[in-house]
Amino acid sequence: MSALPRLALPRVARVRKAKAGLALARLAFALLALGPLAASKPARADTPAPLVAVVSQKAAQLSLVDIEAREVRAVIGLAAVPAGLAASADGASVYVTHPDLSLVSRVDLASRTVSATFKVGLEPFGIAVSADGRHLLVSDWSADALIRLDASTGAETGRVAIGHAPAGLVVDEKAGLAYVADRESNQVSVVRLADMVRIATVPTGRAPFALALSPGGERLYVANVQSGDLSVIETGTTPREIARLKIGLMPYGVAVTPDGRTVLVSNQQSGKLAIVDAQTLTLAPAQPRLGTFPEGITVVSPTRAAAVDWADDEVVVIDIEARTILGRVKVGTSPRNLVALPGVR
Amino acid sequence: MLQRLALALGLLLLGPALALAHGPTPQRADETLVIAAPPEAVWAVLSRFGGIGEWHPLVKKVEATGGDAAGAERVLTLEKGEVKEGLDEADPAAHRLSYRLLTENAEAIPVSFYTQTIEVKPDGAGSEVSWGARFYRADTTNEPPEDRNDAAAIAAMTDFIQQGLKGLQAKVTAK
Repeated sequence: MSALPRLALPRVARVRKAKAGLALARLAFALLALGPLAASKPARADTPAPLVAVVSQKAAQLSLVDIEAREVRAVIGLAAVPAGLAASADGASVYVTHPDLSLVSRVDLASRTVSATFKVGLEPFGIAVSADGRHLLVSDWSADALIRLDASTGAETGRVAIGHAPAGLVVDEKAGLAYVADRESNQVSVVRLADMVRIATVPTGRAPFALALSPGGERLYVANVQSGDLSVIETGTTPREIARLKIGLMPYGVAVTPDGRTVLVSNQQSGKLAIVDAQTLTLAPAQPRLGTFPEGITVVSPTRAAAVDWADDEVVVIDIEARTILGRVKVGTSPRNLVALPGVR
Repeated sequence: MLQRLALALGLLLLGPALALAHGPTPQRADETLVIAAPPEAVWAVLSRFGGIGEWHPLVKKVEATGGDAAGAERVLTLEKGEVKEGLDEADPAAHRLSYRLLTENAEAIPVSFYTQTIEVKPDGAGSEVSWGARFYRADTTNEPPEDRNDAAAIAAMTDFIQQGLKGLQAKVTAK
């Protein structure tokens, strides 16, 4: 796995010194590696779902999937071991992390090619793109840091130390905050993006991994892998955990519906979809089977969500209203995560 | 450069505090075997969580607590040391058993974490047993030595599963 042929990698941009005083543009809604896709303008129920981009770890591919037609529209070869991904708000680019290579790839969706790769930190994992597309945020699993990059050059423009093994991250653009799941510290770090300062930590269950914000940003849902529960965090000036509910075995993905009423969680070890009522914080008794080892899950439109099954190499299409599995689409080996591509059909 | 060095040193110092830390890139091993016995017979052996030492050739000794229900634990003594596992799910209707590594030991088995799931399904008059594992290499940095990299982890887990399936088959079909 570690012996990657050099020629598979496009040229590597040189990391430059951060430019002081760089004003941080407002950051995008969460497009995060492990979180949900919070669409800033949710498509109406009658509009078709946008394409979904899927990273396959072993196949080293990005697949563009039409979940309505259940078809793969394009396959783009990547460097080895892609893990996290995020799309720019204009639908022009997808950024992919490769933790084992200390690398981030940029995929140009118009030409469907890898247009740049950047050396980033030690083990870049979770990733987000700012609303204007100019900045990236990356969690570094082994450097225990949140890193900000210039999206065009890959130059590091900011860094803040957070907890151990930071995994998923989400951004609340309005509040100017990033929330990062510090997996081995059993906490969420809250980072103010204007000056890249950590302003709070919130204790969670054991091994928080994926997280998702409610549409208004007032609540954060955190999937705790080892303790098998969901931390419900009230954000605001003093963020705090208001509930922790048992959710199932090894929750690895979490997403919130655009109306904020339902939280979807993929439980990897039991292979099931847990559905939580956000008002009552109760778990629906029916848990449709997603597959053998489901991981990332995302909301694609007001009526559709999708998850990936890492073991069965499938994208699983979910009907949010009916709470059923509509179908499956085969993709490259070991899909880990997915993100909807706003406006891309 | 200096920054990287400082980070690396920081990580080294923090190392011992990180119990059961694993890396960001999981691996998998999956094996199946058809056994000439009905699923109920296979399940009767498999579902005794503390009984793995009676049929798995690589398990020298087992100390189990908590019976055969979720929450049960077992310490397996392997050739080069002990690992501790916890039972997450035992589903008698689906004939499905799922457990995880609680205390790692890279000397005994070169992984930093795993979950394993074993499922027994009917196959004609016999059973098809699927045994799958999802795990991480023992050294989760980006320059692991050969005995602690992804390949070493995959080889060890695959061998553990293959020998386990054969041992289970021998136990179940023994007269």
